[in-house]
Amino acid sequence: MRHIENFVLNLYPSTKLMLPIFVAISIFLVPSYYYAYMMLPLCMVIALLAGKLKEFMELVIKGLLVLVLFIFIMQSIIAPGEEILWNWGIISVKKEGVILSLTLTSRIVAIASAFLLFFRITPIQDIGQALEKVGMSPKFSYAIIATFQFIPEISKRSKVIMEAQKSRGVETEGSLLTRIRAFIPVLGPLVLSSISNTEERAITLETRGFSIKGKKSHLYEIKKSNVDIAIQIFTIILMIFLLVGRLLTWY
Amino acid sequence: MKKGLLHDFTLLAILLIPVGVALNFVTSQIVQILRLPLHLDAIGTVIVSMIAGPWVGALTGLATNLITSLTNPTSLFFAPVSITIGLLIGYMSKFGMFKKLWTTIVAGVVITFSSVIVAAPIAVYVFGGATGKSVDTVTAAFLATTQNIWTSVISSSILVESLDKILSVLIAYFIVKKMSDRYLSKMNYGESFIQNKKTS
Repeated sequence: MRHIENFVLNLYPSTKLMLPIFVAISIFLVPSYYYAYMMLPLCMVIALLAGKLKEFMELVIKGLLVLVLFIFIMQSIIAPGEEILWNWGIISVKKEGVILSLTLTSRIVAIASAFLLFFRITPIQDIGQALEKVGMSPKFSYAIIATFQFIPEISKRSKVIMEAQKSRGVETEGSLLTRIRAFIPVLGPLVLSSISNTEERAITLETRGFSIKGKKSHLYEIKKSNVDIAIQIFTIILMIFLLVGRLLTWY
Repeated sequence: MKKGLLHDFTLLAILLIPVGVALNFVTSQIVQILRLPLHLDAIGTVIVSMIAGPWVGALTGLATNLITSLTNPTSLFFAPVSITIGLLIGYMSKFGMFKKLWTTIVAGVVITFSSVIVAAPIAVYVFGGATGKSVDTVTAAFLATTQNIWTSVISSSILVESLDKILSVLIAYFIVKKMSDRYLSKMNYGESFIQNKKTS
């Protein structure tokens, strides 16, 4: 068992999942881009409470800033509109384009940052086990965890293979054609060796009774507390409240 | 061998999913190290779908995009594209599209067009034409001349994707051909790649 003394990190995975679900639904219920942009500061506060603010902000800046800029440029080129704010050659920025891109980017930033934060504060192990508790086969939760072990492992093997092929005389630098020719001698052995590894792994798992039917015990357990249930109920009530509010303002 | 959603997820097939996801990642790393002007970021998905079928392939595609979105959130929205690639390759493998070289190339063309058809609405409605990838500069250039978002997105992605996807399918085909018959015979969709069919 792991013990972390942090309120946010100790929550149950499904409670943490309430954040992206709430954000994704509520930004379509509240049609103002001010509201959608407020979701980023909300996520930042939660990240701060979890002590993950720095990693979270790095990811947001790296993953979203360029995209948001591109959307702004494209929308301001194409959006039809009357009110021209700024003119430069054939490019003119119109008020309608700016409003449209603000709406688009606010939603993307809100959904993406909520999901980024969810995966920052929820260990993959916890997600696997929570899914197992709602009825997923343990085979799949093993596959989820194994994916994260395989990526660094196979990446390391690819470097070994590349060095080995270099020592055999395969050139990996030079013109484009030489570099393309180097691709197959690296990828081929990598795929074939990884595939033959899965056979061995399957045999190893079978000898440990992986496919036996019956209840499995866990070395590591996660538990749902009363706080989790309270937060989940509160979020659902809040979403119903927003939905009713939206329906009332429509008629 | 029985095929279908309920029969495809054998232990070997499930173990293939993490390998496929990892291969997608590592292939794009190799592409970066070799400084090739391509993505080739779906080879793992294509290989898994060819030998383990459409559903295992679709799950591999979904998992790849979910894991990429841990660092690059835009890929979350493009998950339907990877799922389509997995499903289509799996079904084409089921109907023996990968028995000959020329049908494999046709399969590559089919994959190009279907991934563009699935990706274009996502790019237009969710991102207003941008994807956060290098295609964006091409799209922006088309936009400046045609002023039409759909033609720009579709023509720029066909231009960039076609070579990428056809090569991915071809490379995957040659690698699967090299796999041992003993291993392919254990996979639900492996039989069309087995070369020495003693029992006719």
